[in-house]
Amino acid sequence: MSAVRSESTPVLNARNLSLGFGRTTVLTDVDLTLHPQEFTAVVGTSGVGKSTLLRALTGLIAPHDGEVTIPARRADASRAWSMVFQAPRLFPWRRVRANVELGLEGLGLSRAERRRRAMEPLALVGLEEYAGRWPHTLSGGQQQRVGIARALAVRPQVLFMDEPFSALDAITRRRLQQELVELRRRTEAAIVFVTHDIEEAVSLADRVMVLGGQDTGHPAGVIDTVEVGLPLDGRRDHPAFSALVQRVEEMIA
Amino acid sequence: MTTLSRPRRVLYSALGVGVFLVLWELTLRSGLLPGTLVPLPSAIPGVLWLELSDGIWFEVVGSSLAHYSVGLLVGSVLGILVGVSAALLPRFDAAHAWLARLLRPIPPLAWIPFAIIWFGVTPTAAAFIISIGVFWINYFASYSAVRSVDPGYDEVARAFGQHGFLPRLAKVNLPAASPGILGGLRAGLGQGWMTVVAAELFGIPGIGQRMMEASSLLATDIVVVYMLTIAALYALLDFVFMLFQRRMLRWQP
Repeated sequence: MSAVRSESTPVLNARNLSLGFGRTTVLTDVDLTLHPQEFTAVVGTSGVGKSTLLRALTGLIAPHDGEVTIPARRADASRAWSMVFQAPRLFPWRRVRANVELGLEGLGLSRAERRRRAMEPLALVGLEEYAGRWPHTLSGGQQQRVGIARALAVRPQVLFMDEPFSALDAITRRRLQQELVELRRRTEAAIVFVTHDIEEAVSLADRVMVLGGQDTGHPAGVIDTVEVGLPLDGRRDHPAFSALVQRVEEMIA
Repeated sequence: MTTLSRPRRVLYSALGVGVFLVLWELTLRSGLLPGTLVPLPSAIPGVLWLELSDGIWFEVVGSSLAHYSVGLLVGSVLGILVGVSAALLPRFDAAHAWLARLLRPIPPLAWIPFAIIWFGVTPTAAAFIISIGVFWINYFASYSAVRSVDPGYDEVARAFGQHGFLPRLAKVNLPAASPGILGGLRAGLGQGWMTVVAAELFGIPGIGQRMMEASSLLATDIVVVYMLTIAALYALLDFVFMLFQRRMLRWQP
């Protein structure tokens, strides 16, 4: 993390978050501060509350306790945050471009401007030529790319990604991970990336927030936040990579 | 079971109709059945021509289509409106649930006495009766279609800033439920048409009334002409609607 980033205004601030279902608290005492372009991965075993945390950070669900602040969005027809879901969840009744335009609707853009703004991220994920296609004619990987384009189109300050590659085959997953490394260089957004794949987390993120420690009647919390500190290019081949992955694995085990 | 090629299927289907007509004709000509009970099939084209050249056919079919269209329009619009509202507004749903359960089993024709009291023996009365059957079909079809919309789409809409009731209705609920709603419309098209003749039997001008007139004069050939007219018009309407439905749902795999 560069000093410059840490000094910039945070795009997300979460304090003492506790969350769960009904009266049951599953996750407690989560603090998170994000600056522009920071990439935070959240890992933990199934059911630890990773996806719930993501939804609480966005405000899609209310936390039991604590508060989340995402400063008001900038003026240039953008949204404070957007999200890439585990299943792409494209609207099958909209063509690819119209799906990407979803978040741009209601921002006061003209139809032509919306169209232009939708084509930019589609080009970024290499699917410009598919703009006029129906989602069902796309492969799973292509649909998830459209899901990413849809999220980037609104130029979010925070991009939430909820296990976005977990439903894909191994080859497509690896390809999209590489694409994400490229994409994050071109976006201002801070990224929160939920995954159960520790290698994926360490290979993509600046820091990895490890959730766990739950016991009968005791909710999970943040075990540790690991700063990755390895260069993005060729990170998987870096001598320290495996040791880091192992360290995180041991925390969860 | 072996399947037939398409041309063979058509051939056998035509053969079936041909054999049926020949048997019908022979039964009457041989005197097995008296000619007063059923007309000769070979006499039908001539009678149809007479009805057409006198202009009677156009007159009765025109007036039937007129109350059919009014009944269909009113029943479909109200059915979809109430059905969609009930599916989306829990208070409204609960408030009218028992009423709907009470009124639903009453067949459209049971409303004939009230139709006459309220509207007299007029085309409006026929349109009213037709609209009742159409209403319930559309009501239930759109209610269950909207209820079964994947809530995941709603989450996507909210994640991309589409918060209001109306934007989500237009962008998620209606398009996602459109296969079910269109299915209801198509079923209503048939149900309404079946009710037309019955609604006219008590003297409202149209196909039904013409058939009653003819039967009182034992002109069974005229009755058959209009039975065939009913079948042919329904086939045409259903075909045209199917094309529309297919176009509207071209996003489906």
